[in-house]
Amino acid sequence: MIVFKTVLKILNRCKMPIFIYTIFLVFFGGFNMKTQDDALGFNASKPDVFIVNEDIDKGITKDFILYMNEVSHIVSLKKEEVDDALFYRDVNYVIYIPKDFGKDFMLGKNPQLLVKSTGDYQASLASMQVEKYMRLANLYLDINKNEDALLALVHENLEQQADIVLATTLDTSSLDKATFYYNFTNYCILAGCIYVICLVLSSFRKDVILKRTSVSGMNIKKHSWYLMISNSVFSLFLWFIYVLLSFLLIGKAMFSFHGLIYILNSLLFTFCALSIAFFISSLVRNKEAVNGIVNVIALGSSFLCGAFVPAEFLPKFVINIAHILPSYWFIQTNEIVKSLEVINFSTLKPILINSLVLFLFSLLFIGLSLKKNRRV
Amino acid sequence: MFIHNFKYAFKTLFKNKVLIFWTFAFPIILGTFFYMAFSDIEENEKLDVFAIGLVEDVISEQNTMFKEAFESLSEEGENQLFDIDYVDIDEAKALLRDKDIEGYVVLQEGVPTVVVGENGINETILQFVVNEMIEKNILMKDYFQYKPDEMMSFLEKVQSFAVNIKDVSNQNMSYTMVEYYTLIAMVCLYGGVLSLHAMNQNLANMSNKGKRISVCPNSKGILILSSLLASFVIQLIGLGLLFFYLICFLHVDFGDRFFFIFLLAIVGSLAGLSLGVIISSTIKQNEDVKTGIVIAFTMLGSFLSGMMGITMKYIIDKNVPIINYLNPVNMITDGFYSLYYYDSLNRYWFNVISLFLFTGGMLIISVLFLRRQKYDSI
Repeated sequence: MIVFKTVLKILNRCKMPIFIYTIFLVFFGGFNMKTQDDALGFNASKPDVFIVNEDIDKGITKDFILYMNEVSHIVSLKKEEVDDALFYRDVNYVIYIPKDFGKDFMLGKNPQLLVKSTGDYQASLASMQVEKYMRLANLYLDINKNEDALLALVHENLEQQADIVLATTLDTSSLDKATFYYNFTNYCILAGCIYVICLVLSSFRKDVILKRTSVSGMNIKKHSWYLMISNSVFSLFLWFIYVLLSFLLIGKAMFSFHGLIYILNSLLFTFCALSIAFFISSLVRNKEAVNGIVNVIALGSSFLCGAFVPAEFLPKFVINIAHILPSYWFIQTNEIVKSLEVINFSTLKPILINSLVLFLFSLLFIGLSLKKNRRV
Repeated sequence: MFIHNFKYAFKTLFKNKVLIFWTFAFPIILGTFFYMAFSDIEENEKLDVFAIGLVEDVISEQNTMFKEAFESLSEEGENQLFDIDYVDIDEAKALLRDKDIEGYVVLQEGVPTVVVGENGINETILQFVVNEMIEKNILMKDYFQYKPDEMMSFLEKVQSFAVNIKDVSNQNMSYTMVEYYTLIAMVCLYGGVLSLHAMNQNLANMSNKGKRISVCPNSKGILILSSLLASFVIQLIGLGLLFFYLICFLHVDFGDRFFFIFLLAIVGSLAGLSLGVIISSTIKQNEDVKTGIVIAFTMLGSFLSGMMGITMKYIIDKNVPIINYLNPVNMITDGFYSLYYYDSLNRYWFNVISLFLFTGGMLIISVLFLRRQKYDSI
């Protein structure tokens, strides 16, 4: 109990960093939640478009704006904000409709539209939408030069669409949120465990404290055992808080079998983070160095393994390097769960393999720290 | 005396491993992580060729046209959009389940059906392209109905017609650059830890050395100035190393206006120095607490200016601009951003002047606190 109480006292001093990690998790997790659409069925992507119309709002000009309103999100901006909005991807595509555009169009002059684009796939989609409407309208102009009849022909044409079927029964939107959240916990669990456990163990491993403990009546093995249990209790508590938060932030997807896999996977990763923390604390005894080590290991693993930036966006050489880090296997499992349609042994096999690798990593770090401690 | 104290302050600061880690090594490590994580992200956001399946359920004249249209979109070249697997329905389902294709198109009686595995941009583009084929088909029928004699010339027009669109986008659109700019800004402000440490060595209530200095006959102003100059020089060395690493190894684009870039870095470093000075002179706590305040202030400033996601900078700039007008990390970041993105220097000078005002304000307050400080006993 004495050991546990002392650990609690040291933990009390570490509450601020843990609080900050949690705030990051809630903030980034919550921020990601807002950007998702909850509806089931196929939802076509809609680029963010801003239109600067210097023409009269009628006829073909008005109809074109209405069409863009249907197929994209029309963003409201001030003209002077356009460049910043493009750079920060608040808008993907800006269309400048010049004065007399409608008049020139009906005269068959094929008037020019100026555009600004972010160059990403959303901007490409917006560009395709603009080109499609303008091409159709221009070609129908050969059939009928009357503006109303022309617009009627264009509308009639655009109404014919292919049937689209979404071949999944999964709530992909909620599972995306859950995956993002649990991927982000990689940073929080790793940083939290390493920071706290290294500080606790380095406090107990100060020369003076070590000497005092060794001459005390307490059995040294018992002392080490208590320390390990105290740190494990802290790690479990941290894991429990993050799981609880996931239920609050994600909701119903967490009450499914998929949710259970996320939770178990994070529990296994917490165990692995605990073993990493033990290993690092066996190497580093300087409290001042702990902060630097935490940042390098937790940030490094998170950046390289896809916790912050999805793994599909990472370069191949980074993914190859990431294989030697436990975080990679943790995050990969979360990614597999996201698209787990059928649950049986063959679909769960990759998850079991990832879990086994995580478990082996944990054993390796525990073994290394025991070996290191024995030498000391 | 000035040179003597400068020399020893420089040596003392350089031998402090923790300070050197945070100001020299950590930014380089963080920059490397940024590079590894972000180097492909913008390339991956561009429209690329993706795999689809094509199932020809019913053979008809119309479906042959669709098939030919798909074939033309899968030919290698600039206009290639798809990589097509010609499969039967069961194979298509299996490929979609294994995520080998983004979706498949079933050519049947009437309009084709598009089957996709999830919501996404590639799926939307697949649907868009199929719709466009249907629309083209209807257009031909409509034209044939109205002007059957001019069908051949119309077909040529359909093939050759180009919509008149001119792209006037800025070429410098790489938003990941902002991450590196916040990194430079963070290092400038981390310089506050160096100046704070240097100041503490001269304050009687903070260190034994400070006590000895306070009873020595030398001018305190000269001793403080020389210590601060030492911290400033170390900060500039750290910044120089970071610039060298970012430009030569990570190929970060700061533009070609080098004079303005270095001016901003120097003014930013002065702002960091003044932050350390004001915290060391106004807060009566031990060095760890003061260092924590400098780091917390810098990290919060970096967060608000986009280090953990550039959207944050934009949200603050758009909704609560006053926060970023007062945030020195943002002044530096925004200065680099304006040099990279805008031709005009108005926004750049606004940031440089803001940094000067911030630095001046911090130093004046610090001087007011420090002057005529005397202790009867300590």
